[in-house]
Amino acid sequence: MLDWGRVRFFWAEVAQNFTRNITMALTAIGTIAIAIVLLGVFLFLRTSFNIVMQNFVGQVAVAVYLREDATGPQVNALVQNAKADPRVDSVRFVTKKQAFANLRRTLRGQFNLNVLNNNPLPNTIVIHTREPADVPVIASELQHKPGVAVVNFGSDVTTRLLRAEALFSAIGAGIIALLLLSTSLIMYNTIRLTVFARQREIRIMQLVGATGWAVRWPFIFEGILSGLAGALIGLGALQFGYRSFAPKIIVNLPFIPFNITQVPLHHLALELLLVGALVGMLSSLFSVSRYLQTA
Amino acid sequence: MIVFQDVSLVYPNGVHALTEISLTVARGEFLFLVGSSGQGKSSLLKCVNREVRPTEGEVIVDGHGLGDLRPRAIPFLRRKVGVVFQDFKLLHQKTVWENVAYALQVTGASSRDVLRRVPRTLELVGIAHKSKMFPHELSGGEQQRTAIARSLVNNPLILLCDEPTGNLDPDTSSEIMALLARINAKGTTMIVATHNQAIVDRMRRRVVRLVNGRIARDEERGRYHVGLG
Repeated sequence: MLDWGRVRFFWAEVAQNFTRNITMALTAIGTIAIAIVLLGVFLFLRTSFNIVMQNFVGQVAVAVYLREDATGPQVNALVQNAKADPRVDSVRFVTKKQAFANLRRTLRGQFNLNVLNNNPLPNTIVIHTREPADVPVIASELQHKPGVAVVNFGSDVTTRLLRAEALFSAIGAGIIALLLLSTSLIMYNTIRLTVFARQREIRIMQLVGATGWAVRWPFIFEGILSGLAGALIGLGALQFGYRSFAPKIIVNLPFIPFNITQVPLHHLALELLLVGALVGMLSSLFSVSRYLQTA
Repeated sequence: MIVFQDVSLVYPNGVHALTEISLTVARGEFLFLVGSSGQGKSSLLKCVNREVRPTEGEVIVDGHGLGDLRPRAIPFLRRKVGVVFQDFKLLHQKTVWENVAYALQVTGASSRDVLRRVPRTLELVGIAHKSKMFPHELSGGEQQRTAIARSLVNNPLILLCDEPTGNLDPDTSSEIMALLARINAKGTTMIVATHNQAIVDRMRRRVVRLVNGRIARDEERGRYHVGLG
């Protein structure tokens, strides 16, 4: 059965940590809030960039041009294998007749295709992938299949776009890691000060036989609460910023090729809240554990 | 109950605190540890609750050798060994009742246990009528009674007292020592490190004198100085 007396004692200890070291608690909360704002802005930009990339690269497809002498079973096998591939989103078979009709439609008024004696276009399989990164891979896999003449996927543009995306992701991961590390270090040292401020209690706890975890838990919860409070303040600031600037961006920069409202804000907010709580918790845990090791 | 087998203790800074101490304290015994400052009294007490680990030899408490004790077992040893200090080490923002309850609460006692044991212990040390007061509202003797209550509330087998009357006037010191004697009479083993010659001479209990970290004298019904009276 839940012992409410013990629950009350535990939360009173956590609250006491907060109120007795209010300056340090506010420093910790402020640090987290600033980090969450920076992280939030960065994650928003990264998600926006990813959406733009998805829009660009998502239009890229693999065009498999078939040989004139490709047999029915060979074509069938290529189509069926592509459809069975989990990386593939859609497969479309375009006959040379359809391709010629499409070309005629595209070049209408610019070039008269009637001058041609025969249809030079091959039968084609057009493949769209789920992930843009799979486009070059699938293209190279199909290159030497029986019945395939040439595979085209706009290799230069796609490869460059994918390289840019990979580079941006790597830089982004580095910036996020640095941001989290610096925030954790500040939190770690701030909580360490609150631990030092309570060293008399900790010494008494140890002398009367409190376990290491009995000493740690109030600090860990203090860390989680600081993290959550900081994250909420940071999110408040981000929301204010978003509400103030997003409409202006949409109106003043209409050439940006994505809809700003496509960014999943609730998902981002939840992530940031979790990050705040986690940074607070881990900083406290390491800080108090280190103190107990040396005490 | 407590056995020291050839215990030596050298601190990391090179100070030899204890040298080849062999000592047995029986269950329920009352022992005075005397000697001038820096002779190793506090270090000896710290070996009993594993605040420090001897560099050589073995300390056995209640049948268990402390040398092999895993760090996570130390809190459970300390619940059997209460400690009282010269400077009381009370929490100033907590009342007398809360200070005593704290020892139970941080060791995971149920609130029913807290409500049952705290008043009983406060009654035992004679401070129940001041349970709602804060340490700064108490006299030195009352603060020491509170500290004794806190160390007793877990029902320890052993009580270690490091200069418990060091900050008290002679009358209050006598009262505190009488309290410790009463607690000892109920079966708690007591080791009291002290400079208080008058009390040691009046109580005539076992006296162990430390000089330079070695046992210089171990006397049943002893006095502070040898050859007096």
